[in-house]
Amino acid sequence: MSAALLRWLDDASDRLSAIAVKEVRQVVRSREFTYAFFASLVAALAIAFFGAADALTGSGTSGTWTFVALMVCLTLLGLTVVPLGAFNALRTERMEQTFDLITITALSPRRVVIGKLTAQVVKLVTFFAAVAPFMAMSFLLGGIDFVTILISLGVLFILSMWTSAAFLFLSTLAKSRATSGLVFGAAGFLVIFVLFLSRIPMLVFGRGGMGAMSFGTSRAATWWALAIMASGCVMTLINLVLLAENRLAVPTVNRVTPLRIGFLGQFLLIAGWVLSYLGEPPRVQEDAIGALGVIGGLHLGLVALFAVTEDLVLPRRALLEMQRPGPRGWLLALFRPGGGRGAAWVLAQMALLVAAGAIFQPDGSTLRWLVAICAYVCFFTGIPAYFYRRIRPRGTATLKLRVAALLMLPIALILPDILYYVMGKSEVFDLGFGRRHLINPFRTLANWPFVESSGWSVVPFLLGLAGLVAYLGLIQLGARTTAEDMAIAAEAPPIADGEPGSADALY
Amino acid sequence: MLELDGLVRHFDGVRAVDDVSFSVERGKVLGFIGHNGAGKTTTMRILATLDTPQRGDARIGGYSVVDAPEQVRRITGFMPDYAGVYANTTVTEYLDFFARAHDLRGETRRRAVDTIIEFMGIGELRDRDVESLSKGLKQRVALGRAIVHDPEVLILDEPAANLDPRARIEFRTLIRELAGDGKTILLSSHILTELAEMCDAVAVIERGRILATGTVQEILRGVRQRRVLSVRLAAADERIERFLLEQPGVVNVHDVGGRLQFEFDGGDAEQVALIGRLIAAGFPVLEFSAHKAGLEDLFIEITEGPAQ
Repeated sequence: MSAALLRWLDDASDRLSAIAVKEVRQVVRSREFTYAFFASLVAALAIAFFGAADALTGSGTSGTWTFVALMVCLTLLGLTVVPLGAFNALRTERMEQTFDLITITALSPRRVVIGKLTAQVVKLVTFFAAVAPFMAMSFLLGGIDFVTILISLGVLFILSMWTSAAFLFLSTLAKSRATSGLVFGAAGFLVIFVLFLSRIPMLVFGRGGMGAMSFGTSRAATWWALAIMASGCVMTLINLVLLAENRLAVPTVNRVTPLRIGFLGQFLLIAGWVLSYLGEPPRVQEDAIGALGVIGGLHLGLVALFAVTEDLVLPRRALLEMQRPGPRGWLLALFRPGGGRGAAWVLAQMALLVAAGAIFQPDGSTLRWLVAICAYVCFFTGIPAYFYRRIRPRGTATLKLRVAALLMLPIALILPDILYYVMGKSEVFDLGFGRRHLINPFRTLANWPFVESSGWSVVPFLLGLAGLVAYLGLIQLGARTTAEDMAIAAEAPPIADGEPGSADALY
Repeated sequence: MLELDGLVRHFDGVRAVDDVSFSVERGKVLGFIGHNGAGKTTTMRILATLDTPQRGDARIGGYSVVDAPEQVRRITGFMPDYAGVYANTTVTEYLDFFARAHDLRGETRRRAVDTIIEFMGIGELRDRDVESLSKGLKQRVALGRAIVHDPEVLILDEPAANLDPRARIEFRTLIRELAGDGKTILLSSHILTELAEMCDAVAVIERGRILATGTVQEILRGVRQRRVLSVRLAAADERIERFLLEQPGVVNVHDVGGRLQFEFDGGDAEQVALIGRLIAAGFPVLEFSAHKAGLEDLFIEITEGPAQ
């Protein structure tokens, strides 16, 4: 290759992520990649050989099973070698402390995570390229159409990237070698789970097993199902990248805003999926509201657990950043850290959940069921956070509060029965749903028609009211704490805009 | 160029850095000395924007490490006490990666890498796997990595640790050359004699607190109330010890390898008078000298723990 071409390629590589360039250079020299690449080539060659031999016997299905066998090989590579490579890339970087050396360059944590993910894209595409001629051969052998091949590769590509992003996030959770080993083990388990999970949608679609919400067998319905899967994967992948970025960023920066925007996007996507069933028959719409309640409720529970338990004290840099008036300041108000905005952000999503459900114009009971979901989320996340913050508004207790909120849930699940049998000395063993289970959100929400007909629905709403009061209290406490801190930060010696040392020089 | 103002960093109740303040002028080399766990590395990590202080601030080139870390990173090079090399990466690729990471592009990036390779004298190692290099060569490459973006300030944590004597001498030369180029350097080392040869001034830290800053002689002048002088006679004379003790300002006379060393509480004029009196008394004075204190003396003098 001429020197001019090499130089041109070198210049062109400037447009790529520095991390991706480094990782690809390392990968092509690594033994793991070489072994995996050649093993996939040998396997694909063997499969193609047997496929061709089968075709010579006049079998009409040789193309189909050749394709399936090749996909199994690619799935193993895409869901094990590539994600574990991603996990190891960041883990090694942190264990060997080279991540510190990257941190002090111009690369932001987001660029690092995206770079690592891009390197895995290159790796996966190389594997795809190795198997591509044999894939083409399976098409020529007959029994499989070109669109199916493309869709299968596309789905595998998205799933592989999603798993890689999940593994990158997992690798940011551990700092020591021991915890990293544990996380690595858990990640291995996750791979098996994902491999199993990747079969589920296929089985579901194959049997039309989505209840009344079934996507049906029409071509349009299949494409719609694929679009929902793909958008879900892409949205959660973005959030996994943001979560990994959050874990890697230094604590002085505002680490909240990107995550809040990302997870609101995820919530709007869930609502969007459900609202796409607006014109469908009533039975389908009922199922859609059910799906909104379950998926939206889980989403709300998760984001509330993290947003409401955030520390009220903000780093000085984040405060200074917020003091600077910006053109989109009002738009970002709900997404900024501090000031009890976390609780307000969760309440806003709860309002969206109920509003999305109301668009379907369901009966009063269904709407109250959606409100009850929000009520339980408010209660379990708001109460421990509020009581702690009342005593120590400036305490650093994010992790403790999250553990406390998580512990409240299993206690609520088993304590009513323990008290009932131990204190009440009941001689009849009865696991049926009763009044004592009203503190258990899962059983109450699952038996909602019975709860309403028994006139017990007031209990979840009272719990919700307590949770709402706690949320409002957190908003008030947060607003007060942030206002005090902002006043202190504003007292710092003024430095002209853009001058060295000015926080404003950053923007 | 480098100003630390009341830095505080605690870890689980331990005061790793406790109200640390000092400054370094442009183009100067400041040695940062202290025992293991004295707070050197934590201070340096804060300056490198890898950690944040709970109180106080530091400014590098006018930029706050807390409020403007991106700007600080642009003008600062940090070399920690480990090499931090990658597997399956050549020396050129290693430096090229860090040049890219500092947003150097195209010809500028290639020139920066070539300049560093030439400056560090590692031309013949260009295509060698960086992980396979000796410790000394890895340190060289690591220093190259720290300066690939041509920073104004260099923070070097134990840069000469575990190097053989030859590599140390070469490393020392590189540091002096960098200082000659106008770079401001803060470096820590356990090898005090070496620091003394490289540094314009020192800062001594113990248990997270700065005990002294300045040149070795300035600090010793502040710490010691008396001069340490010694006298050697051409022929032994038992009377001299008594004679010295009778002189105003002389205390603590003792024999150190055939010469009498003593502490003298007085200025230059008093010292001249003392020499005059010794000669007038008929002592055959062969040598009369002031003990030139080194960094080790300073360290022993002002810290409580054992010297490293």
